Amino acid sequence: MFGSPMFLWALLAAAIPLMLHMFQRRKTVLTPFPTIRFLKAAQKRSSSRVRFENFLLWLLRTLLLVALAIAFAQPILRNLSDSNGWLSRSARDIAIVLDASYSMNYEMDRGKVWQICKDAAVQTVQGLNPGDRVCVYAAGDQPIPVIEKPTTEHATVVSAIQGLECQQGTSRLEDTVAFALHALAQQDDKRARELFVFTDGQALPWQGFRALSEDGTSTNKTESTAAVKITREMRDSVSLFSLLAGAVTPDNAYPADVKVSPSLMLAGQSARIQVRVGRSGPVKQISVALSVDGQESGSRSLTVEPGTEKPLEFVLNNLEPGVHVATVSTPQDSLSADDSFQFLLRVRKQLPVLVAGPSDSTKYLRAALAPGAADDTVRQVSSSEIESVDLRDYQAVFLCDALPLSGQAIIRLESYVNNGGVVAIFPGDAADFSSYGEFQMLPALPRKATDIAVSDAARALKRLPMQPGQQVNFQMALPPGTIPTVALKRVVEFGELAEQAAVLVTAGDDTPFLLGRAVGRGRVFLFGVAATREWSTFPLTAFFVPVVHQLIRQGAGASVQPTHLVLGSSVPANESIPNFREDDEITTPSGAALQIRDNGNHNFFIESVPEIGVYTRTKASGGAAESVLAVNTDRFESHLDPASPEELHEWTGFKKFFAVNDAEELARVVEEHRNGRSFTEVVLWLALLLSLAEWWFSNRALRSRKGATENLKVSLSGKVTE
Amino acid sequence: MEKKEGIAAYLNAAQMAKLNQLVLNSRYVVEGTLAGRHRSAQKGSSTEFADHRAYMPGDDLKRIDWKVLGRTDKYYIRRYQNETNLRVYLLMDRSGSMNYTSDPDRPTKFSYASTLAAALGYVVLKARDSVGMYIYGEKMDAALPCKNSFNGLNNSMKILQGFKPEKGTNGAEVMHQIAEAISRRALVVIISDLLDDQEAIIKAIAHFRKNMHDVIVFHIFDPAELTLDLKRGAQFEDLETGEKIIADPRSMSKEYKDIMGKFLERYRETCAEMKVDYRLVTTDEPVDTFVRAYLEERKRMSR
Repeated sequence: MFGSPMFLWALLAAAIPLMLHMFQRRKTVLTPFPTIRFLKAAQKRSSSRVRFENFLLWLLRTLLLVALAIAFAQPILRNLSDSNGWLSRSARDIAIVLDASYSMNYEMDRGKVWQICKDAAVQTVQGLNPGDRVCVYAAGDQPIPVIEKPTTEHATVVSAIQGLECQQGTSRLEDTVAFALHALAQQDDKRARELFVFTDGQALPWQGFRALSEDGTSTNKTESTAAVKITREMRDSVSLFSLLAGAVTPDNAYPADVKVSPSLMLAGQSARIQVRVGRSGPVKQISVALSVDGQESGSRSLTVEPGTEKPLEFVLNNLEPGVHVATVSTPQDSLSADDSFQFLLRVRKQLPVLVAGPSDSTKYLRAALAPGAADDTVRQVSSSEIESVDLRDYQAVFLCDALPLSGQAIIRLESYVNNGGVVAIFPGDAADFSSYGEFQMLPALPRKATDIAVSDAARALKRLPMQPGQQVNFQMALPPGTIPTVALKRVVEFGELAEQAAVLVTAGDDTPFLLGRAVGRGRVFLFGVAATREWSTFPLTAFFVPVVHQLIRQGAGASVQPTHLVLGSSVPANESIPNFREDDEITTPSGAALQIRDNGNHNFFIESVPEIGVYTRTKASGGAAESVLAVNTDRFESHLDPASPEELHEWTGFKKFFAVNDAEELARVVEEHRNGRSFTEVVLWLALLLSLAEWWFSNRALRSRKGATENLKVSLSGKVTE
Repeated sequence: MEKKEGIAAYLNAAQMAKLNQLVLNSRYVVEGTLAGRHRSAQKGSSTEFADHRAYMPGDDLKRIDWKVLGRTDKYYIRRYQNETNLRVYLLMDRSGSMNYTSDPDRPTKFSYASTLAAALGYVVLKARDSVGMYIYGEKMDAALPCKNSFNGLNNSMKILQGFKPEKGTNGAEVMHQIAEAISRRALVVIISDLLDDQEAIIKAIAHFRKNMHDVIVFHIFDPAELTLDLKRGAQFEDLETGEKIIADPRSMSKEYKDIMGKFLERYRETCAEMKVDYRLVTTDEPVDTFVRAYLEERKRMSR
């Protein structure tokens, strides 16, 4: 196509050199010359060369004029495979996808990438013809429909884009693109379709496209995208334009993750905080600061290789009991959204224990756990009181000859164990062994109690080695060389082991002494003897106290809440919030109430933590708000790794894929795609080259080689020398 | 202004003065009628000893070398080198091709050749030698005998002035005639562009050499003829045959120079083989400067 086809008439000028040549031949001057015979010989010899040179010269001049004529006609190359190739002004449907991940907050010289992308999106909408329809989607953790159906009300679209806020999480472009494409696919078929993706150009959000299978269907497992697929036909027919506005060589340092050990912290213990620090960009010294409750408590610096993460450790001593909000931060850089990482340090004063059973049966246990008797860490209740006690206040529950129990008590105990509690059972004489059958969570059912002969009473306790697949474990550090020995008087015989149960300790070679079972997130332990001296010497031995403490700690370890959550994660409320009750009110950092779903049976579920920061709880009983959750973005997108347009083209598989780094360039590419590419400049350059070649060629004779006569030297006297 | 005639038409007083001290020497022995400064082919009465010869009855007794007789007791006759004057013949080509100049301010080749002849004649006469002239074109036009007077040269130049270069050339045949016509050894100076059948010309020059003449060839060209340094294309007409061709000199100057170079090279090589003094003369060089440089070089060479 030509912008000004009228100029094609100028192609007739191509005949000018030929006409000039023919005209010039007739106009000659008669010159007398003595050496005509040499001229004739030279002409004969040079004629073929001269003819060829003349032809070349004519060709050069003709091409030059043709090139000039074409250049003035403004040639435009159009993609003929476009369905509406010759009608570039036809209406079109456009989908705009804005990457709203937190990495879009990257600060460039021109402003934030997010703002640049929004401006470019607005510019794209404003550049549309009045009849063109446009829909807008933002890509967060989930696709966010901004303008769901393509509309011709461009002003609305522009204001919607301008009002968009960047999200705090990562983005999944392939889902959003799929949604946008389906929104387009539901429209009138005859229009040209274009998809615009405004992103910072990081490789990560595009990774989803690589997972798409060859037949063009999405293999994504998430529910939201199961129904939405990007078909081969879409990739062939829709033109994808992408603005990769982010920095080409990004510079970012960030705390990627924090691990706190021990997971269960008691007052006075020291805590080790391991921070992984990530880095994109050139190698640089990074100083990392740790603050607890707003007070800086440590600062260290390290050097991280680009594209890697490096661990760094802080140690905190003498933490006060309570919940502390701790923050690890790196110096502010271009991407400030990931510069700090918040987590909670839950320091406990003690581990409260509930002991249920008759006073006689529990006295050794109480004495072992609370030697001072006035300690409030141990509470003793009768077995009938269990159903009225809130078990979640206790780290472990000991049942000493406490059976039989009411059905309500058994349900509460089972719920307690499932949520991570520990129940340790000492049998006794009070209950018939058949009443143990109501307990579904026992490692094995006790069948009967047998008396042991005195001669056979002394038994060494042996810890059985861990079996493959065994979930419950028991480990107790004793001084080397110590062989714990008990004298048995009476012991329970057990039936078959339940699922996920194991014999942990035997008395002697084959008598089971301690059995364990993993139930839900918690543990159930069952002893072969009662906690009284009538059954064995176990309560009197030196290792009774360590064994009991070990059991309590197991429970505490299993019920520790995570120090932090990832934005958008869905977790049971009981697992993430300590001692959660349904009447608790959890407030998000922005002040809104956190939605918690009741699944019934005291199972509460947080479907998604919506924002980053520290969440607080206000108890129904009143009192000050306490910090219960710290939420951070997962740092996948902090590792800034720009993808090249070629890679993106390969990953997305779109036939017509155009990726540029600049908004103006995008406008140019779009214009070129819609209206064709102008070749005027190329043709003008060609004309310049041709004219240079013509000038060189036509003046070549002046620089031609010397002939033989010039090689002969004639002296002043006329003598010829060589 | 009155038109000058004879030698004065070609040389002015200043030029003549420049040529005064110069001599055109023959490199070989020559035969003349007068006693002169050139070695003669004949042995005779001079003071310069040549060689000895055995006495034969009838020889003049005064020629016997008595010193040799005293030493060897044998009769020898002393022989002396005869000295003579030099006869120079100027062969002037007046064919049509000599009437060419590429620049109106420059003399034609014929005009230049005439000036050259005048200068050479003047030099020869100043050395008390004699000079003759042959003028030829398609045939022999004039044969002027050797004379050792300025009047003779003047007359010759007047006659030369009367000829215009025109028509074709038949230089080779005329040269053969002249070679036969010159009876005694002489110095033959050919002033021509030699644009004839090259091999025939070479044979004619060989004829001179065979007859023991010393030969000098002044090969005259206009500079444009050598390099074809013409700015624009034209229809060319041959000065001798009238043949016309259309050519663009710029496009074929390379080939032309090659052909011309080979033509000159052939003359130069064969002249060197025949011990003929070959000089390429271009008309852009002043005649007196050329003659002076040439004669001085020749003087050095003959020593």
